[in-house]
Amino acid sequence: MAEWIFLLAFSIGCAVVVVRRQRVLGHQGPAGRTRGPGWGFLLLPLALLLHLTTGGGPLTLLLVLAAGGLVVLKPTAARRLLPYALIGFGLVGLKLVLLAGGPGYSTELIGMAYGAGSWRDHFLLPEALAFLAVGSYLAIRWGRGVPRLVLLVAGRPAWGRDRPAGRAPRPPWNLLLIPVGGLFAELVSPAWTFGYNAGADLAAMAVLGLLALSVILLLPSVAADLAVAGLLLLGVYGVAIALLWPRVFPQYQDLLYGAVWVTNRPLAVLAGLQGLALIGLALWLAPRALDKRTMALLWPERASEAELAGRVEQLTQTRAEAVDSAAAELRRVERDLHDGAQARLVAVGMNLRAAQKLITSSPEAASQLLAEAIDSSSRALTELRNLVRGIYPPVLADRGLPDAIRALALDTPLHTVTDIELPGRPDLPVESACYFAVAEALANAVKHAGARHVQIHARHDGELLRIEVTDDGAGGADPARGTGLRGLERRLATFDGILAVNSPPGGPTLVVIEVPCALSSPKTSSS
Amino acid sequence: MRVVIAEDLFLLREGLSRLLTAHGCEITAAVDNGDDLLRALLDQRPDVAVVDVRLPPTFTDEGLRTALEARRRIPGLPVLVLSQYVEQLYARELVADQSGGVGYLLKDRVFSDDQFIEALRRVARGGTVLDREVISKLLGRRAKDAPLGALSPREREVLALMAEGRSNMAIAQALFVTEKAVSKHSTSIFAKLGLAPSDDDNRRVLAVLTYLNS
Repeated sequence: MAEWIFLLAFSIGCAVVVVRRQRVLGHQGPAGRTRGPGWGFLLLPLALLLHLTTGGGPLTLLLVLAAGGLVVLKPTAARRLLPYALIGFGLVGLKLVLLAGGPGYSTELIGMAYGAGSWRDHFLLPEALAFLAVGSYLAIRWGRGVPRLVLLVAGRPAWGRDRPAGRAPRPPWNLLLIPVGGLFAELVSPAWTFGYNAGADLAAMAVLGLLALSVILLLPSVAADLAVAGLLLLGVYGVAIALLWPRVFPQYQDLLYGAVWVTNRPLAVLAGLQGLALIGLALWLAPRALDKRTMALLWPERASEAELAGRVEQLTQTRAEAVDSAAAELRRVERDLHDGAQARLVAVGMNLRAAQKLITSSPEAASQLLAEAIDSSSRALTELRNLVRGIYPPVLADRGLPDAIRALALDTPLHTVTDIELPGRPDLPVESACYFAVAEALANAVKHAGARHVQIHARHDGELLRIEVTDDGAGGADPARGTGLRGLERRLATFDGILAVNSPPGGPTLVVIEVPCALSSPKTSSS
Repeated sequence: MRVVIAEDLFLLREGLSRLLTAHGCEITAAVDNGDDLLRALLDQRPDVAVVDVRLPPTFTDEGLRTALEARRRIPGLPVLVLSQYVEQLYARELVADQSGGVGYLLKDRVFSDDQFIEALRRVARGGTVLDREVISKLLGRRAKDAPLGALSPREREVLALMAEGRSNMAIAQALFVTEKAVSKHSTSIFAKLGLAPSDDDNRRVLAVLTYLNS
């Protein structure tokens, strides 16, 4: 009894500390930061649950104390740990399912504590699965140190492949196949009715889980479709139980369906409701999770409509961005001219006027002023030259993209190898966007990556212009953070082009620019 | 010195003519497009041509290409190319035939008329003159490499001026040192870069440029 009072007091104490800190941080901390550590508090109730579930040993008591300490002292670490704690707790649940078949097992003790309101042992499995699912989801959502395998399974090519900069990846719907497979195992396993044959249940789950995993790995695009279909099937099965009871499987007196152990008509209706919920979930998921090709098969008109709507939205957005960036560019040019060349020319004019007045009375002073005027005009020219380079580089105008990129490479203080073969010239705006994208990639290689060698490769395959810039620098470039690459990505998006960056820590960095475009026929006179 | 001028902007063409005439040059032709330029160069064989990179009819690098074409037909025909901007790419193309008698300068350099005329005379004599902006980019690109890194700051200055095409005397004047000191520096530079020393100004420039471009 004393232990329970102590635990209660300890938990309340921790909660008070955390709540007070949240309040302070909420006022002072940067927006969005307070939410993070707050979630870590869940570690404490989780540890308490574990303590209760396993019968209250000293080992788990220590765990509770440790969790409390972590929550109070290291809230960020607690938050980072939470997903894995959830997964662990889910695994404990699976273990309990296994135990449920064994001798000396007490429904009351275990069922009381595992999860919320686990007052019947057949809630164990769905709850354990829920913990596993939530844990994995959070691990992926929050995790920076997420194991590569998990990401790979989830079908998110975080490092493996090129990822368009700044575009959010789709949620890992294909992971859904694992819990759906688990549900099937529970319902279709040898222990068809709930016969406490947990071993067989688990074996079937393992088999189906592995099957699901291999589908996810080998046929990632089908996994989500299968999961949705599975949910639909499970839902239909539940509804069928409700409608046909007790003639579903006449040889059995009772049936397990999800969280319901069906023994009579009202419970069958409950199973039906559960089935309806699953059908609802499947229908909600379908437009979000289904593969595009599946969508096109099932609802051809809707798919093409959705595609068109998406296209319109994309065009509206890229057009707005193009207009914005053009306006911003003009503003920049205006400011540069105003503060630079224009001001210098005013100075030149003033100096000349003053020199004109002084030329008879004080030739030396006049000569000094004239020298200043020459200097000012020279500076004005330099500034205009730089400005022009930033708007439309002269070599690009003279020679087109290949030579302009070669000229860029020559101006870059790195060992640069260019391999460019284009049979003609793209449209001027495309050329210019590609040029500035390459220029930015080179500038980043020099400034941030500390690279020594750069390779530039450019080809046109008849439809697509593809330029690759590879450097041997430090890597770790994040296009979402740099405004330079982001702006160029937007500029390329106006032509349906993409800019992808693959830059693992430690390098190498690969920047890929792809623009669908036609090339004009090659120039008649080439040099 | 007989000079052909190719420049499409009337004001600049007139200004250049006046400047060159004032320094004792004879303007045999002042043209405003690439076709006329080629004809004038081939017919009149001037001592030197002053050519703007961008000319009609294409308004791209017409002037540069015409100059290169004329030099293909008359090897070593002295050409000084002027431009609002300088590109290493174009500089490379101009010095590629290694026959000398080329110059590549920013238009602003006309402001310091003495230096400009001196550069023009050097080109006419078969020398090579490159704008210091080209040279500084060229040097900047290779700055991290071992042999260039081993040069002292003064040696780098000498190397830059040498690459611009200046003679020992001009370098000595620019750096306020004696000609002897310059020649000592240049021997040391050539030793460090592993190049064969040469007394001929033009051959020296070409050797340095070839080294920097490699």
